[in-house]
Amino acid sequence: MRKSHLNWVKGSLLRLIFVFAVSLPDLWGQQSLGSNFRMAGEAVTQVFEPQREVIQKCSAVLYDGRDEIAYGVVVSEDGYILTKASEIEGIDDMSVRVDRRSFKKVETVAVDPVWDVALVKVDAEGLTLPNYAESSGVELGDWVIVNGATSRSRRRILVGVISANSREIPPAGGVVLGVQLKENDGDLEIKDVSEGGGAEKAGMKSGDIIKMVDGKDVGTIKEIAEALEGKNAGSMVKISVKRGEEAIELDVTLSVRDELFQQQTRNDMMSGDFSSHRSGFPKVIQHDILANSDTMGGPVLNLDGRVIGMNIARANRAETFAIPVEELKVMAEKMIEQAGK
Amino acid sequence: MSGRPAVFAIAFLAVFLPLAGTAFPLNSKEAPESKGDLLLIRDALQEALPQARAATVCIDLGEGTGSGVIVSEDGLVMTAAHVSTGVGKKVSVIMPDGKKLKAISLGLRADVDAALIQIQEEGTYPFVEVNQTGDTKLGDWIFSLGHSGGFDKDRGAVVRLARLVRIANNTIQTDGTLIGGDSGGPLFDMEGRLIGIHSRVGPQLPVNMHVPMSVFLESFDEMKASEFIGEGPFAQLPEKGKGFLGIGTEPAEGGLEITKVGGGSPAEEAGLKEGDVIKTLNDIELVKLDDLKGMLAELAPGDEVKLEIVREGKNEEITLELGKR
Repeated sequence: MRKSHLNWVKGSLLRLIFVFAVSLPDLWGQQSLGSNFRMAGEAVTQVFEPQREVIQKCSAVLYDGRDEIAYGVVVSEDGYILTKASEIEGIDDMSVRVDRRSFKKVETVAVDPVWDVALVKVDAEGLTLPNYAESSGVELGDWVIVNGATSRSRRRILVGVISANSREIPPAGGVVLGVQLKENDGDLEIKDVSEGGGAEKAGMKSGDIIKMVDGKDVGTIKEIAEALEGKNAGSMVKISVKRGEEAIELDVTLSVRDELFQQQTRNDMMSGDFSSHRSGFPKVIQHDILANSDTMGGPVLNLDGRVIGMNIARANRAETFAIPVEELKVMAEKMIEQAGK
Repeated sequence: MSGRPAVFAIAFLAVFLPLAGTAFPLNSKEAPESKGDLLLIRDALQEALPQARAATVCIDLGEGTGSGVIVSEDGLVMTAAHVSTGVGKKVSVIMPDGKKLKAISLGLRADVDAALIQIQEEGTYPFVEVNQTGDTKLGDWIFSLGHSGGFDKDRGAVVRLARLVRIANNTIQTDGTLIGGDSGGPLFDMEGRLIGIHSRVGPQLPVNMHVPMSVFLESFDEMKASEFIGEGPFAQLPEKGKGFLGIGTEPAEGGLEITKVGGGSPAEEAGLKEGDVIKTLNDIELVKLDDLKGMLAELAPGDEVKLEIVREGKNEEITLELGKR
């Protein structure tokens, strides 16, 4: 068999049922509820003013030039902010706004690739920290409040509820190195290196022969699949390769298969905008608030105005994932400590 | 039990409604005014969710999935016509715990996207109450459930809290976003009573359409009696003469001998082989080639046919479902 990793997981996407209505003749000319009174309308959100004030002070807005690219959670008075790593990767002209203050100098000081969280630092003093909920012990149907839109001076909120059971989101299609392989007389040769994958970033080249994964011999595509099974997306594996006569070791960050190869389902086409990295999280809470890829990274509050999590992925038209507060707190402490070293 | 629990209950409601007066209080306000109001919404939602979620099922058609909701103890399921796609079709109903049950589609309304499915395995199933009063109005708080994107046992049915933003004769619109897989799933009022079935979405996020209960109640008897009502766009009647078996035959002693079996055809899948002699189709003897042709002309894709064959001197019986030509 000369198969690439594309065939590791059979691509039998579920065909999901839905009629996509473009025109709505049934409803034309019918009475409708004013937009002000809908879920995203001011008349509904105004009763959440105490929670909005927390968002105003503690939800950072990250810009690429003038474009909003992500939100963030303020985690220290002196300017550490957590955000969604993949949304700010490779942005040169990044600036941050917290409340009414703008910061032009922004440095990415640490990244947790498994959770897709980056810690950025701005030069600030006296920022307001949010209060954390003791646990993300949320119940289905609990109210949640997030940063929904922003102007230069004012954060606007969107509200919704916890909408599904908290759980792990396995990597869509499994994890991959980001290479195409062929089995060649007992050698596992790299035929091609996929653009944007972990292998490319680690410097793997076509023609390299893969000998070991994390110190374990591999000689077939099946063996390499087994060696990667169960590993987290964003985690690192040590790959020993032979390049010509040379033996090389490379640290490769694992990619999510379906995200790397941009496998689109019919649901994706009707979803509008969604996060490019949206699976492979150890644990998430889920809510039903309207969102898009630019509005991830901000805090998720409960009705007491306390942080229960951080938005991490707009999965589709109906589902948004957030990192639970327990994991978020640990991550913030660890990353700040790491950055201080 | 299956009968018409719906209609008997109407009489009861008519008597007790004035006394009951349990309308959800927030529905009489334009918007929530206090934290207390928000807690009322949350509490109502959380009280209704366990039963509503227990009765929200995934409907698996093999090549795609939709949702549905159980409305009687013996497993009558309401769903969308574009999910069941026809009358008398074998489908699987997946319960929240992942248990797969055999079910069959009953009737449907092809013009407005309503359908019934009956779970065929005996049991006592969790079900929800149908709101038969038609008292839902613009601005009411509602919630949607469904197996968005397909069944996921760890996740469970997905909740969306929303408001009722438009009403027309055969459609309700809400701002709770739906996606593929939600089709056929339930829309509830805040007392956990069924008020609609998810049907379709528009290009914008807040445009999500549902079929109101009035449509189901209006055509309940006919749908229960497995009638295919109305014409498209949500389901198409199977066309006679388009049924596909996938064999070539020649007259032989005792019937028609199979000379060719098409690759991937329903005949091949059912295990028919070259050399088999077909004696009867649905108990009608086959002698001439035209006998088979004539019978297929009266059958449609999805129809089940029974064949009596002779293979190596032995009689066998094979049943298969016709494919589409």
